[in-house]
Amino acid sequence: MAASIAGVFENDLQQAINSSKVFVVGAGGIGCEILKNLVMSGFNDIEIIDLDTIDVSNLNRQFLFHKQHVGKSKAEVARESALSFNPTVNIKAYHDSTMSADYGVNFFKRFAVVMNALDNRMARNHVNRMCLAADVPLIESGTAGYEGQVELIKKQLTQCYECLPKAPQKTYPGCTIRNTPSEPIHCIVWSKHLFNQLFGENDPDMDVSPDTADPDAAGDAGMAALKGEANDQGNVTRVTTREWAVKSNYDPEKLFRKLFHDDIKYLLSMGNLWKNRTPPKPLVFGEVPDAVAGCSNETDAVLKDQKIWSVAECVEIFSSSCRNLYSQQQRLDLGDNLVWDKDDKDAMDFVASCANIRAYIFGIPQKSRFDIKSMAGNIIPAIATSNAIVAGLVVLKAFYVLRGQLENCQSVYLRNKPNHKNVQIVPEACLVEPNSKCYVCSPKHEQMGVVNGSILKADDFLQNYELNIVIVQRCLTRDGPLFEIIGSETAKPGSPEKLQPENGQTDDDDDVVHVIDGESTSNATSSIRKRKLET
Amino acid sequence: MGEMASVDITEDEAQLYDRQIRLWGLESQKRLRKARVLVIGARGFGAEVCKNIILAGVKSVTIMDHGVVDEQDFCSQFLVPRSEIGKNRAEASLERAQELNPMVEITADKEKIDDKPDSFFGNFDVVCATECTTAQFLHLDNVCRENNIKFFCGDVYGFFGYIFLDLQIQEFMEEVTTITNTHEPTGEPLAKKRKTEKTVQNTKGTETYVPLQDALDVDWTSESYAKRLKRMDPSYFVMKALLKFCDKKGRKPSPSEREKDIESLKEFVKEELTKQKIREDFVPELLLKDVFAEISPVCAIMGGITAQEIIKTVSQKERPHNNIFFFNPLKCIGYSACFGV
Repeated sequence: MAASIAGVFENDLQQAINSSKVFVVGAGGIGCEILKNLVMSGFNDIEIIDLDTIDVSNLNRQFLFHKQHVGKSKAEVARESALSFNPTVNIKAYHDSTMSADYGVNFFKRFAVVMNALDNRMARNHVNRMCLAADVPLIESGTAGYEGQVELIKKQLTQCYECLPKAPQKTYPGCTIRNTPSEPIHCIVWSKHLFNQLFGENDPDMDVSPDTADPDAAGDAGMAALKGEANDQGNVTRVTTREWAVKSNYDPEKLFRKLFHDDIKYLLSMGNLWKNRTPPKPLVFGEVPDAVAGCSNETDAVLKDQKIWSVAECVEIFSSSCRNLYSQQQRLDLGDNLVWDKDDKDAMDFVASCANIRAYIFGIPQKSRFDIKSMAGNIIPAIATSNAIVAGLVVLKAFYVLRGQLENCQSVYLRNKPNHKNVQIVPEACLVEPNSKCYVCSPKHEQMGVVNGSILKADDFLQNYELNIVIVQRCLTRDGPLFEIIGSETAKPGSPEKLQPENGQTDDDDDVVHVIDGESTSNATSSIRKRKLET
Repeated sequence: MGEMASVDITEDEAQLYDRQIRLWGLESQKRLRKARVLVIGARGFGAEVCKNIILAGVKSVTIMDHGVVDEQDFCSQFLVPRSEIGKNRAEASLERAQELNPMVEITADKEKIDDKPDSFFGNFDVVCATECTTAQFLHLDNVCRENNIKFFCGDVYGFFGYIFLDLQIQEFMEEVTTITNTHEPTGEPLAKKRKTEKTVQNTKGTETYVPLQDALDVDWTSESYAKRLKRMDPSYFVMKALLKFCDKKGRKPSPSEREKDIESLKEFVKEELTKQKIREDFVPELLLKDVFAEISPVCAIMGGITAQEIIKTVSQKERPHNNIFFFNPLKCIGYSACFGV
């Protein structure tokens, strides 16, 4: 390997490579490339972690994996393949989540440098905090399509990953999803919610039935009339979608009638909604169009998945996927639920067909299953070359870190198109200093201006909870406590398995949060409510 | 490109290439599928190019190298097993290359470039050459020009790398974003609302390339080129000195001769700068010291850039570099510039 041949590297670098223990977080697109670079360069002591297993869609770039490895642990197979480059290298592979308590500050302290190769913000936040706490240099990187970036994170020297607020994930108002969709994405989100209502973990934030509390609908007399209309069971009280489905034995035709006919008629009765909008058209199960508007006859111009289905085809796919999902659900243990997975054929068929039926009802253009999968699954297109380039840059920066030359670790960007000076790999001029007000890495406690009535958003260090804390000021009694919790909504502890294995899927789920440290500046009492994460 | 009826992408291919089809589209994938690529030189840089284009799903890759696997290969050539030391490098790379993607036809060729008739190269749509003498690069470029074959050549020396492109005439579609400022007067003359609109359009473009000879024969004393020197990165002269080194010594700089080779290289740089009437310190000495073997992360960078240029070329999507791309490790910068026009 390079560090074992005299004269390839200067002495200090050669020694650093031969003796450093390094950690790679993630064994996907960037991780495989980093691991290869490390082994070929001559590192002897490498640890790598990934909670995921190998999927066929990984194989176009995660080159340490081959078809026969599909389903196996990424970290473990990466290790095996890398060993074939140098059988004497020590690689420890963990098939585990880096956010597990097993990998605390003391675990991270063992490494000379940590290299992130992650695809989601939550894990990046976590490793950021660990490396700051352990004071270990972290090289952060990422790619999306043709572009990518590499940056060094070192306590008190550079910005940490959370110094600057990141754009929050796009969310949609409940009434748009439930009552007045106007874009395909609204229908897709609705369909994912429907999946959860029928087959997945029940979540009141994911209601799919018409929203009577919609401010746009205020002042409708007709609503009361329809409310009284007897439904299929002759029962006028509202039941949850899940209860209703169970009672109907998940009969696709009955589900169809409720979701795409009865509920639509209900929406129509909320006349105010449709004053300035195209009203939806309820569908009857046996009477849907089977031609596709504007479809072309070119059969090999597009992939099978890229063809737009006719509404009749959607209904058929809705019915069959619904039945299959019901069977899947029946086979589960009591209390278990299905989890939506874009790579599960029935789950994806279900969402695609529902989204298109709903889109048709609301006069929204339909999308192909291919496009819906991208949107529903948050797929980021990925190729081998971007990952190779970025991983190469990561290891070059690691060389500087190990030689103690942190001043040479300015961030570097890979651009799709070269800039006006024809530069495609673009280095920053200098390191960027930390944000002095950063709640994660700033050593000083700045005045935060907390007053009576302030609402503080907080999360715990391990990101298990997100809290809204309402500050109410009271007079301090002589022997009273400094603060008291005067009210709290029942909170479920955050499930440790929240971080699902996601192949190439980002999971940006944070708003900007602020943490209160120590006592607040006023003597206050607070109430805590658990806020659910949106997906 | 070779003429061939459009073949349907199979279900298996659609699954395997899903994440890249979502980026460059189905049409690009179909064009890749027809491309026959010759990769000359299978050290670290060549191996990385092979990996990337095999994963991308070209029709075929011929790996050509008459040399045998040596210790230095283990710095960056991850396709050859350690057990294959002493065996032909192309053949030793075959098994792992094939494992990357069973759908690509991969063959090894042990022969020397100089022993190949010109007609041999006509079997390919793209030729990518490394580890050659300047004369060999020039010969290959000529043959490719005569046969409308897209030509790439370059090398990685330690931490430094470059790639030259001669695509003759390259037509492509590119996405062009135009930002237009529109003014909306709101009655009062002073209160004008400015709106900006961003439109993305697919437009046709063309790039014309000069032969390698022209790119290497730049006269830096001429007015137009002398002007460029003011703000120019010195990588061009590092490349020229390294080419001269290889031509004169019959080998790339060697780790076992580190001190001596660095001195020789400095001499070659000095000669070239003097000849071109450029000040001696134009090339920082630091740029000349880490030029040994082929360092894996740099092979990864250059292999990635080069493969992406090959993909752009074959798919005729987006504007390729014209005509030399350099990676300068001191500044950690990767850029292209045009020489010889």
